[in-house]
Amino acid sequence: MRASTLALVLSATTLVVLALLLHAPVQDVLARPAAAGYDVERMVLLYATLPRLAMAVLCGAGLAASGAILQQVLRNPLASPTTLGIEAGARLALTLATLLAPALLGLGRDLVALAGSAASTLLVFALVRGRGSTALAIVLAGLVVAMYCGALATLLTLLRDRVLNSLFIWGSGSLVQQGWDAGLALTARLALTAVPALLLLRPLALLDLADDSARALGLSVPQLRLGAIAIAAALAAFVTSATGVIGFVGLVAPLLARACGVRGFGARLGWSVVFGALLLLLTDATVQLLAGDAAAFVPTGAVTAVLGAPLLLVLLPRLRPTAAPADAGLGTAAGHAPAPARRRAGLALAGLALLGLLAAAVGRTPDGSWILPSPALWPVLAEWRLPRVAAAAAAGALLGVAGFVLQRLTGNAMASPEVLGVGAGAVLGVGAALFLPGALAGLGQGVAAGLGAVGVLAALLAIGQRTRFAPQRVLLAGVALNALIDAIVGVLAATGDPRAMRLLGWMAGSTGAITAGEALQIAAAAVLLLPLAALTHRWLTLLPLGAVPARALGVPLARARLTLLLLAALMTAAATPVLGPLSFVGLMAPHIVLSLGIRQSLPALAAAALAGAAVVATADGLARTIADPIELPTGLVSALVGTPFLMLLLARRRPVSSLQPEGCPA
Amino acid sequence: MTAQPQPGMVLDGVAFEVPGRVLLHPLTLRLPVRGVTGLIGQNGSGKSTLLRLLARQQRPSRGRITLDGRGLDDWRERAFAQRVAYLPQQTPLAVGLSVRELVGLGRYPWHGALGRVSAADQARIDTALALTGVAALADRLVDTLSGGERQRAWLAMLIAQDARLLLLDEPTSALDVAHQLEVLAMVRRLAEERTLAAIVVVHEINLAARFCDELLALKHGRVVARGAPTALMTADWLEQIFDVAMGVLPHPDSGRPIAFARD
Repeated sequence: MRASTLALVLSATTLVVLALLLHAPVQDVLARPAAAGYDVERMVLLYATLPRLAMAVLCGAGLAASGAILQQVLRNPLASPTTLGIEAGARLALTLATLLAPALLGLGRDLVALAGSAASTLLVFALVRGRGSTALAIVLAGLVVAMYCGALATLLTLLRDRVLNSLFIWGSGSLVQQGWDAGLALTARLALTAVPALLLLRPLALLDLADDSARALGLSVPQLRLGAIAIAAALAAFVTSATGVIGFVGLVAPLLARACGVRGFGARLGWSVVFGALLLLLTDATVQLLAGDAAAFVPTGAVTAVLGAPLLLVLLPRLRPTAAPADAGLGTAAGHAPAPARRRAGLALAGLALLGLLAAAVGRTPDGSWILPSPALWPVLAEWRLPRVAAAAAAGALLGVAGFVLQRLTGNAMASPEVLGVGAGAVLGVGAALFLPGALAGLGQGVAAGLGAVGVLAALLAIGQRTRFAPQRVLLAGVALNALIDAIVGVLAATGDPRAMRLLGWMAGSTGAITAGEALQIAAAAVLLLPLAALTHRWLTLLPLGAVPARALGVPLARARLTLLLLAALMTAAATPVLGPLSFVGLMAPHIVLSLGIRQSLPALAAAALAGAAVVATADGLARTIADPIELPTGLVSALVGTPFLMLLLARRRPVSSLQPEGCPA
Repeated sequence: MTAQPQPGMVLDGVAFEVPGRVLLHPLTLRLPVRGVTGLIGQNGSGKSTLLRLLARQQRPSRGRITLDGRGLDDWRERAFAQRVAYLPQQTPLAVGLSVRELVGLGRYPWHGALGRVSAADQARIDTALALTGVAALADRLVDTLSGGERQRAWLAMLIAQDARLLLLDEPTSALDVAHQLEVLAMVRRLAEERTLAAIVVVHEINLAARFCDELLALKHGRVVARGAPTALMTADWLEQIFDVAMGVLPHPDSGRPIAFARD
């Protein structure tokens, strides 16, 4: 379809919806004389409905421009403010500021949002630094960052204040307006950002060439890239600051322009803006039309995510496969002599285990002082504390190994069980059990979580089948599923229903109420699944070499990938009811092992289990004692403690040499 | 008339195309079951494509390849890897394995995911390390080796694999002249001592002529010439294959024909 045809079709549809939405109030208002005193409907039309529609146009245009610039500058058809974590970073920053330092907002919401989006963008690029930043790798890192930012924002809100529903609604992208001020302010900001963007139009168009050709034409590519990304991030940050996260518009609009065969960057940018504005206007008008009076409580951003995430899944297969031999930083910092390294690694692991044990044992007396219990207390403590410690440690071990398996399988250091979406599926299962009584009322939360996890897994496998379980694709599909589920949870939370709070509480991963029976179940899962994972160690050695050598050596690729995916998913499904879907442990444990220089699959797998268990046991001890007498959720504590630690590990790793071969030529 | 199973690789109307381009035109031929066969031709002539099809890394768009009378699709993964070894043009750079561990991976087709690593496996690993001259590097990490050493470590893995058919895609690409000679001589020696077949993509025509028993020349996805090096080392043939005026002179020492570009 030509771009102009598509624009016409979109405009026509939008006009129809707008006519349906507006004809009654407009007729009403016009039928009456203008000065008929206090006229509520007129006020609603002029100061709520129309500004909201104008806001939709503005936000759609801004996000689409941001996406078009990002796609051009990164030469990555999946780049967008959503997929690079820019919006989510802005949202987390604003949430943090609102909750912890409201005074910062006095300096200007936009500054806070800008800082947040800058931080998340930098983080994404730091994560893929020097690793043959393929299109898929960047998007994967971006989506992971977005996922954690979004989840942390939600959970922090939950912990801090249970009645901040408006923050949920805002966080999920609400276009609701009470006047024209916000729209005018956003117009000014976007116009201001448009000036440098237009100045960069011509240099950016040169990026259609390869880097070195562009450089030969007198372009300073790194500076241009930095500047353009900064502009795109600013556009997205302004929009996010005004309305919250409106996902996927910035991805879809430029893709539509591209799909219409629009050539040249300038034209693509222009059409993207048109499509973005029309798309968001259409979506929002439809939401208003369908939701009626409840429209103020249905975040449009959640709706765009629900529509956009499946589209991402559809688009994935069209992306050129990256044939680059898997490296992704799974090699070691080269060259240390084996023997002392082994001793050091052993010592470090023993230290971690000791830390975990200590954290499990430590307690606080009613007056707040810290104690290590005397042996006389042990039997009592064992009865009360053993179930939760055992469950936490087993869950940690399972997640650690699941993460290790996934990182080896995908050759991607960002892979982790959370990214598979299996945990999110468990959340959806629990949500369904809470919100759809009738059918599911009888099921326990554990069963519902299991069903949800299996459902997502089935979807992943169905998607993966087409790409023969090409690992990066499966991961991206998992992240897209995550975004979808996140949006649904966002809508649920925005309703302010107490059941939504229970769901969020469950997501935070509390170990306090675990019974001996439940602990036994998860321990049994660990005893069963961990040795099974150990049996696959030869595959885990071979697969990081890449598909070609692995196939040449007779590894049944599809079967091996399927088996490992299933194993990882089962381990995640078993651990999620204990720690929630967002504990970070599956990402952290393999990186601890890597930084200790343990390379061989079997020892590394065992070390990942130990590290995972120790980290969670430590987090559990902290969660139990640090805010005594209040218990914090263990899953959330391990995420909060683990994140900075993980960043430290990643930052310390030296970038892989740039001699990395670029995929096999066809 | 009953069809006797034909040993070795047999191609029957095998073609490979990607949308809009034919990389390999229908090709029917039978590859020798012993000796070194050199694949020569310009860049993009279809050499690597042909090798990938033989290695079962890609499926032909049309036609059928059989190995020992069985279609390639009918071979189980490990059974095929026991029979055929493949070295891609580019091997992964950073793998986090020691040389001995890498070479040990060559035994995977024999012991599989769960089987025991026997003393015989260890012996074959030692032999492969010794044959390729990387025994002294056995405990080094592959990531820390030079290009030539790494290439030899991967070759050692291929040797440990103990397959009867070796498919090597430019095994000399990362090497200097001395190592090029050394690697090709080693392939040739292996083929003779163990009566193996090796199909080798060689860029340098003189190296190909010196070490191969037979040359197979591709051009634009078609086989344009096949024969003994002495038969193909003529100015006419080479010009046809490489599209550039070539001359051939006798080597001053050995008298073997040496090819050079005229312009």
